[in-house]
Amino acid sequence: MFRLNLKIALRNLWKNKGITAINIGGLAVALAAFILVMIYATYETTYDKENPNYENIYIVGRTLPEFSTNFTPPPLGKAIKANFPEVEAVGMTKKGGFEFPINNKQNTAFTTNYLIMDYEAAKLFNLKPEGGLVKPEGDEKHLFYVNKETMQTLFPDKKDAKPELVTIGGKTVGLTGEVGVITGNPHSNITFNALSVRRELGKGENYGYNNYNTYILVKAGTDIDALEHKINDLYKREQIKDGEDVQSARFKGSSVFLDPLKNLHLKPKAANDSSYKVIVALSILAVMILVIACINFTNLSIAQATKRAKEVGIKKVLGVYRYQLTIQFLLEILLQCIVATVFALVVAELLLPNFNNLFNVPLKIWNGESRLVFQLPLILLAITIIAGAYPAVVLSGFKPAMVLKGNFQTGRSTSWLRSALLVVQFSVAVVFIIGLLIITSQLKYMRTQDIGFNPNQVVYIKNLTYFTDPKVFEPVRERIMKVPGVQSVTVASGIPDGSENGTIGYTANGVEASIDFLDVDFDYFETLDIKLAEGRFFDSKFKTDTANSVVLNESAVAKYGLKNPVGQTIKGCDMDYKIVGVVKDFKTQGFEVPVQPTLYAIKNPCGNMKLELMVKIDRAHTSDAIKALKANWADINTKDGENFRYYFLNDLYGKLFQKQEQLQSVFFAAALLTILIALLGLFAFAKYITNTRMKEIALRKILGASDLQVLKLLNTSFFKVVLIANLVSWPLAYVITQKWLETFAYRVDMSVLPFLLSALATILLTIITVSVQAAGAVKANPVDALKYE
Amino acid sequence: MIKIESLEKVYKTEEIETTALNGINLHVAGGEFVSIMGPSGCGKSTLLNVMGLLDKPESGSYKFLETELLKLNDRERANFRKQNMGFVFQNFNLIDELTVFENIELPLIYNKIPSAERKRLVNAIIERMNIVNRSGHFPQQLSGGQQQRVAVARALVTKPKLVLADEPTGNLDSSHGNEVMELLCELNETGTTIVMVTHSSHDASFSNRIINLKDGHVISEKINKSRTEELI
Repeated sequence: MFRLNLKIALRNLWKNKGITAINIGGLAVALAAFILVMIYATYETTYDKENPNYENIYIVGRTLPEFSTNFTPPPLGKAIKANFPEVEAVGMTKKGGFEFPINNKQNTAFTTNYLIMDYEAAKLFNLKPEGGLVKPEGDEKHLFYVNKETMQTLFPDKKDAKPELVTIGGKTVGLTGEVGVITGNPHSNITFNALSVRRELGKGENYGYNNYNTYILVKAGTDIDALEHKINDLYKREQIKDGEDVQSARFKGSSVFLDPLKNLHLKPKAANDSSYKVIVALSILAVMILVIACINFTNLSIAQATKRAKEVGIKKVLGVYRYQLTIQFLLEILLQCIVATVFALVVAELLLPNFNNLFNVPLKIWNGESRLVFQLPLILLAITIIAGAYPAVVLSGFKPAMVLKGNFQTGRSTSWLRSALLVVQFSVAVVFIIGLLIITSQLKYMRTQDIGFNPNQVVYIKNLTYFTDPKVFEPVRERIMKVPGVQSVTVASGIPDGSENGTIGYTANGVEASIDFLDVDFDYFETLDIKLAEGRFFDSKFKTDTANSVVLNESAVAKYGLKNPVGQTIKGCDMDYKIVGVVKDFKTQGFEVPVQPTLYAIKNPCGNMKLELMVKIDRAHTSDAIKALKANWADINTKDGENFRYYFLNDLYGKLFQKQEQLQSVFFAAALLTILIALLGLFAFAKYITNTRMKEIALRKILGASDLQVLKLLNTSFFKVVLIANLVSWPLAYVITQKWLETFAYRVDMSVLPFLLSALATILLTIITVSVQAAGAVKANPVDALKYE
Repeated sequence: MIKIESLEKVYKTEEIETTALNGINLHVAGGEFVSIMGPSGCGKSTLLNVMGLLDKPESGSYKFLETELLKLNDRERANFRKQNMGFVFQNFNLIDELTVFENIELPLIYNKIPSAERKRLVNAIIERMNIVNRSGHFPQQLSGGQQQRVAVARALVTKPKLVLADEPTGNLDSSHGNEVMELLCELNETGTTIVMVTHSSHDASFSNRIINLKDGHVISEKINKSRTEELI
C-alpha cells in the first residue's frame, strides 16, 4: 500500500512539476533563513554553556540610585567568601586600562583587550592555558598569557605552545617577561587577547574601588534570593565599617544583586537587554517567514484538491479509512518537506559566510554538538503538521458519492480561506517592505544630514603619552605641523566616535546642573570643522585660555538659560571659568542620543588625561602625510613613538550606523524573502485558478469578451486580496516603524510615501504575476477548452 | 440477500428540501441482476449510493445477509464495503497516476491480500478481460471501452458478493457499451449479484428485473422474462 501511495504521490508531484518546484523552493528558502536564525539564536543564548559550573556561577552587581553596574569593590568578594559557606569560590576580574605593546625582536602586538584576573576566577571560568593553569607563587608574581592569534603575530614561525620571552610595554621602559599561550573562547563572556593571572587582586583597596567584576560559584541548590539578601546586608555592614555616610542618598539607594552567568551575555541586569530583544525579534521574523512558506503549502494543496478528489473517492469506495488517507497526505507533505530541508541546508551553508560577516559571529551549520540534529526533525514534523493538517483533513473528508459523479468543486469555504491566507502572506511582506523603506530613509538622513562637524580627512592616532598640559603638547604639535599636508593638530580626552563623555556639576546663571565635559587643546574645533555661534574658539594668543577659559555648546547655554553667555562665569570643580565662546551643537554620539550640554576646557582639574591625537590632513596629500608621520613618528612623539597606529575618524564615526545598517540588511533580506515566497504562492495559485476557469474563459471569449476584459477578470480577485493586505498591514507597519523611529533623537518625519510605494510595488507585482499566468488562457483557442471539457 | 425497507433520504440546502428517496422498499435476491431506471432526479443514484454505503439515509432499514448496515459506524462501513462490494462508474474513475495493473491491484492491497496472491489474481482478471497487453499502460492511454473494462476488472478482482454499477455504458459508444454489458452478464451468470442504474432500456434488457423510480418512489417493477427464462 505504501509503495502504491508513494507512486501516486511522486507521479502527482512530477505531473505538477512547476507547482512542486515552487512549493519546495519556497519552503527551502524560508527554512534556510529559519535554520540560520536558529543556529544564531542558539549560539547567542548559550554563551559560557561549555563551563561545567554554568548553572551555579553568578556575577555580583550593584544597584545605585541612577543606574545598575557590575563593577564591585574587591573587599566585597573577599567578605562573601569568608562569610557564606554556600559560596564555594569567588573570583575577580579587572579590565586592563591601557593598550600596551608586546615586543619580541621583530614583531609587535598590542593588548587590545587586556584582562586581569585572580587565580580563582581563572579556575571558575575553566581557563586552560597551554601547560595547565597554575597558581602564581607570591603576590608579586603574575602569569601572562596571550591568545594564539597574538602569539602568531609575535612569532609567526612558532610551532609549539611553549612560553616565549618578550618585552611587555614600550622598548625603552618595558619589562622582559615570559608569555604563555591560551586558547581564547569567543563564545564566552570572558574574552581577551592578553590575560594576566594573579594570586590575588585588589589587595589593600577599600569599598570605594569599584573597578572589579566579582563572580561567585555557589553550591548546587543554594537559595539565591536568600543569598542575595544576606550579601546585601553584609555589603551594608561592611560599608559602614569602611566609614560610609549612612545618611547619604548613595548609601540608602544602593543594594547588591546576583545575576546568573547565563543572563550575562543577552540580558544582564546591569545593562539593557536590547540584544536579547534582537534575538527574540529575529526569531519571530524567522517563524513568520516559515509560516508564510507553510501557507503556500496549505494553499496549493487545497487548490489542487480537485485533482486528487477522484483518487480519494475511489480509495474510499474501495474501503480505505479516512485516517489512512489523512496519513497518506501528511506523508506526502513530509516527503516534500524533507526534500526542501536538504535544499535549505545547502542554501544556508552558502549564505552562512555573509551571515557571519553581518552579525560578526563564527557560526557553522554542523559542528560536533550541533543541536540542529535534534531540532531539524522536530521542525520538519511541525511544518508538516502546520502546512499539511488542513489539506489532509479537507482532502480525506471528500464524499465519494459526490466527487465520483465528476460534478465536484472545492467549496466556497476553502476559497475564502485561501484568500485569507494570501492576505496574511502579503500583509507580512508589506510590513517588511515599509520597514525597509523607512530604515533606508532614516539611514540616508543620517548619512546626509549635517552632523555639525566634519570627520573626513581627520586621522586619529593612538597614543599613550599624557598631553594633558598644553606645554607638553606644544612641541609635538609643532613637529606634526611641519609634515606637508597637515592642516591642524589637536589632542583631547575623547574623540567624536560615539563614546560618552564624563559629567561634572557646574553652576552658572544661578542654575546648578550636571553636564558633559571634554578636555581639549588648541585647534580642537578647527580640526573638526565645528561651527562657531558666538565669541571665539580657544586661541594660543590668549594666555587665559590655558588657565580658565571655556567654550560651551548651544545646548549647555540653553540648559543654564544664559543670555549673552560670552564673558559670563561658570563655576565647577573649584574653578571660576570664563565663557569665551559658544559653538553650534554637533552630533558626536550619532543620531540616537540628543546632543548633550557640554563644556569644553583646556584646563580641567577634575578632568581626564588627554591622549587622543587628531590630525586634519589636506585631501590631496593624505597618503604622503600619513607616510611621513609614520616614518618620523619616533621623532615626533618621543615618548610613545615606536608604533604608529592610526584610524580615519569618519570610519570610526561610521561605525555608529552599524546597528542600523545591520537592521537594514536584515529587513532587506526579509522583505525580499517574504515578497518572493508570497509571489511564488500567488504564481502557482493564479495558475490553478486560470486552469479551473478555462471553460468559463472560453465561453466568455465566444460571447465576445476582449483579451483585456479576460485579463481584468482574472486579476480582479487578486487585486482585491493585495489591496486588503496593504490596508491590514499599514497600521501595524506604522506602529512598528514609529516605535523604531522614536529610538532616534534625530529622525526623518514619517511620510506616506513608503506606504504608497509598498502598495504600488505589491499591486504591480501581483498584476504581472497573474497576467503572466492568464496570458496562456487568453491566447488559447476557446474551442479547445470546450472540447477538452 | 438485500432487504431495504422504508428508506428515506432528504437533501437540504438553505432554501429547499428535496426528497430523494421517499419510503423505498426493495428486495434483491442473491444472484439477481437488477436494473434501476427512471427520469433524472428520481433518486436512482441516491439509492445506489445508499446501497454502496457511500451515503446515509435519514431513516429506514438496509439489511445485507441479515446484517443491518445502517447501524454501522464509518469504519465498519468501509470494512464491509471493501469485503463485499464492487463498483463500476459511468466515468470509469481510474486513478490517473497508476497503471492498469496497479489500478486493479489497489482493492486487493486494501483487503490485505499478500503480494504474490495479488499478482496472480490481477493477472487472471486481466487475462479474462482481454487487456493483457495494456497492463502497464496508464488510463489516459486507453480507449473508453478499455478503461471501463479495467474499471470492471477492478470491481471484480476482490470477488464481491454485490456489484453496483452506475450507468456503466453512459460514456461509451454502443459497441463498447455492449461489450461491457456482456461482461456484466457473464459475471452475473457466475453468481455475482448486480444492481445497475441506467437510462438505457437496451442496457436494462440485459438484467432480469427492472425497477422504475419516480420522485423517490418505486412506481413499477417488471420481471424481464427473456433473461429470467434464460436463467431457468
